Amino acid sequence: MSLKSILTKPVRMIAALTLASSLALSGCTSTTGEGSTAPLKKEDLVMVVSVINTTNPYFAANILGAQVLAKKLDIPLEIVDSQGSSQVEISKIQAILAKGKKVVMFVNTVASSDAPTIVNDVKAAGGFVTIWWNKPDELNPADIGNNFVAFQKHSGLESGACTASALSDAIGKKGGIIALPGVQDSTTSATRVAGMYQELDANYPDVTVLDEIPSNWDPQLAYKNSKDLIAKHGDKIKGVWTADDGMQIGAMQAFKEAGMLEKVKFVSDGLYPETVAAIKSNEGNGAIVGETFHRGYMASAIGLYTAYLAAIGEIDPSTLPAEKRDSLFAISCVTPDKIDEYLQWDNDVEGWVDTLIENGPWDTAPVPLVGAGPEKIPARNK
Amino acid sequence: MASTANAKSMNRAATGQPTSVVASFIKRNVEVISISASIFVLAIIFSILNPRFASVENLENILNQAGLPLIIAVGATFVILIGSIDLSVEGVMSAAGMTFVLMTANSRGGTDYGFWAYVVAIGLAAALGFFSGVLFTKVKVPSFIVTLGMWYVGLGVATVLFGTDTMPFLTNDDLSTWASQQNLGMPNNFLLGLIVAILGALFLRFTSFGRVTLAVGNNEEIARGNGLKVNRNKVTVFVIAGAISGIAGIVATIQLGAVNPTIAAGNLFIALPAVVIGGTSLAGGKGSMLGTVLGVILLTTLTNGLTLADVSPNFKTAVSGGILILAIVITAWSQRDRLRISK
Repeated sequence: MSLKSILTKPVRMIAALTLASSLALSGCTSTTGEGSTAPLKKEDLVMVVSVINTTNPYFAANILGAQVLAKKLDIPLEIVDSQGSSQVEISKIQAILAKGKKVVMFVNTVASSDAPTIVNDVKAAGGFVTIWWNKPDELNPADIGNNFVAFQKHSGLESGACTASALSDAIGKKGGIIALPGVQDSTTSATRVAGMYQELDANYPDVTVLDEIPSNWDPQLAYKNSKDLIAKHGDKIKGVWTADDGMQIGAMQAFKEAGMLEKVKFVSDGLYPETVAAIKSNEGNGAIVGETFHRGYMASAIGLYTAYLAAIGEIDPSTLPAEKRDSLFAISCVTPDKIDEYLQWDNDVEGWVDTLIENGPWDTAPVPLVGAGPEKIPARNK
Repeated sequence: MASTANAKSMNRAATGQPTSVVASFIKRNVEVISISASIFVLAIIFSILNPRFASVENLENILNQAGLPLIIAVGATFVILIGSIDLSVEGVMSAAGMTFVLMTANSRGGTDYGFWAYVVAIGLAAALGFFSGVLFTKVKVPSFIVTLGMWYVGLGVATVLFGTDTMPFLTNDDLSTWASQQNLGMPNNFLLGLIVAILGALFLRFTSFGRVTLAVGNNEEIARGNGLKVNRNKVTVFVIAGAISGIAGIVATIQLGAVNPTIAAGNLFIALPAVVIGGTSLAGGKGSMLGTVLGVILLTTLTNGLTLADVSPNFKTAVSGGILILAIVITAWSQRDRLRISK
């Protein structure tokens, strides 16, 4: 059998396409060199905030933080709405980079796998980027160079532990709870779930997770899953743990319809405005018993300010310690009686950004730098 | 043909063969019978795996969860009957749901327009359906492309209306718990779905619109050659489907008691398989609303049962997909020749 007979036209076409796409991809993911490290002039900069969508309260707050910081630093701002799509996110970022201005960028990535492409594109364009929440563990900012200034997030383990503790205390340290994680392969969700189990295993042996059903950060899906779990477990459910407040809204509606809202306790992450309203109105006779506090505007302002300092040469990322390249920022456990202490920040976002500029990105209350990533999900003994 | 069949029937009766009435009934209703049998078998299996599956509470829960996909599936059945597809459902639902909540008493304040909130929301959805229909028939763009675009138009409308404010909640407790309240022993949203399905069935069977729809789906060229107004029928189908998506959008927001632009996410891909499982041919021209109702109940039962049977979420999606493929193959086996046609 000759080589020519094996290499039929379709096979040759497929081989050529494979070769071409491999070359293109290898070009996209090239990580050689330190990239641009020379200090840039402020007037050459454009700030970019990239969010997963613009309607989720957390992402809307990301935009708010970027707007306030951009105004304070007098740098133009561009907003990237990824519309929940990695493809949209990457193509919009590439379009901005193609304009030629040097970017100072914050990206709340749609998926972990988007991060390598984005940081390499920014590096090739001589910009500076900070990624929040999602990146592959093996993607280390120090390996890419100064243009990937830092990866930053709040600890998922701490979030899960904090809310699990509040829920367990509220149900008398014993009984059944259900858990609604976010998207199954999300690191953020996985670490929060792991933190919940870690806390229960260590301190609340009589609290049992009756069921755990991923609900994709989707209120409607959380509603449906909660309905099924109510049918399955009935009165055995004493508490509901959700990985974010959006899903808590759906879960609470399901329990409200089942006439169980006042008998079951809820905890979640994010303290969204809707959750604040529910706590303040004492919905379900104090149904929500615990939350975590961290804010989208804080995340974007910290991320952008870190990238900005690198861009103007105020910091040299290559000389920073590991915890300032792969960072974990503080997260606060909030019980309903203390929410006003935390809401003070929301009432003065401009004042908080002023403090950030004064103290720097790693030392501003209530979210100072507390540790280094990446977070490792502990193995469960049970 | 009919007289030949009658002669054969009389002959079998005379020779002591089983009457053809039963055989003919089974042949005519093979999809409905096979889906009903599938639901029954699933119910038995899930009841054995978890006795709570057969509890009254869970049966109410299944009907409650079937309500929304049922409404969507009725609109989808009309579109599939003309051999087309409507992918705009989720976007149209979002636009209608957002419009409805913002025009009703909600946590953002504003004026409560009462009845007009329903009219405007459904009207907007019907208008989006109208544009899909016109683009499909006049510009000759395939329906899946037009409606994919309209999905994003609807989503865009919902996003603009949402703005940057907090998520609007319905403040009327009676309204926000309406979907799960019972009437005639069924949750309201399922009852509404059933009413929409019955009206759809009556439309299909007893109106010239219904007959033209089936004729267009069977063979568009012959229908056109016989002087039927094919394009007008198609546009009407898309308007009806849009309006039904609007109703579904309202029900979705009432069910959640709140609205965001992604309120409808995931609903289309329950409704479309349900329609096909229900025996509606993807090639058009053949199908029934009863089949659609059963298809929705089958899929809802499956999702609910897998949860109650303690199937790990890691396997649930794959198991659900596998059973879905099996159900589609079984129910569509008799039409496998027709399914080769694609429009």
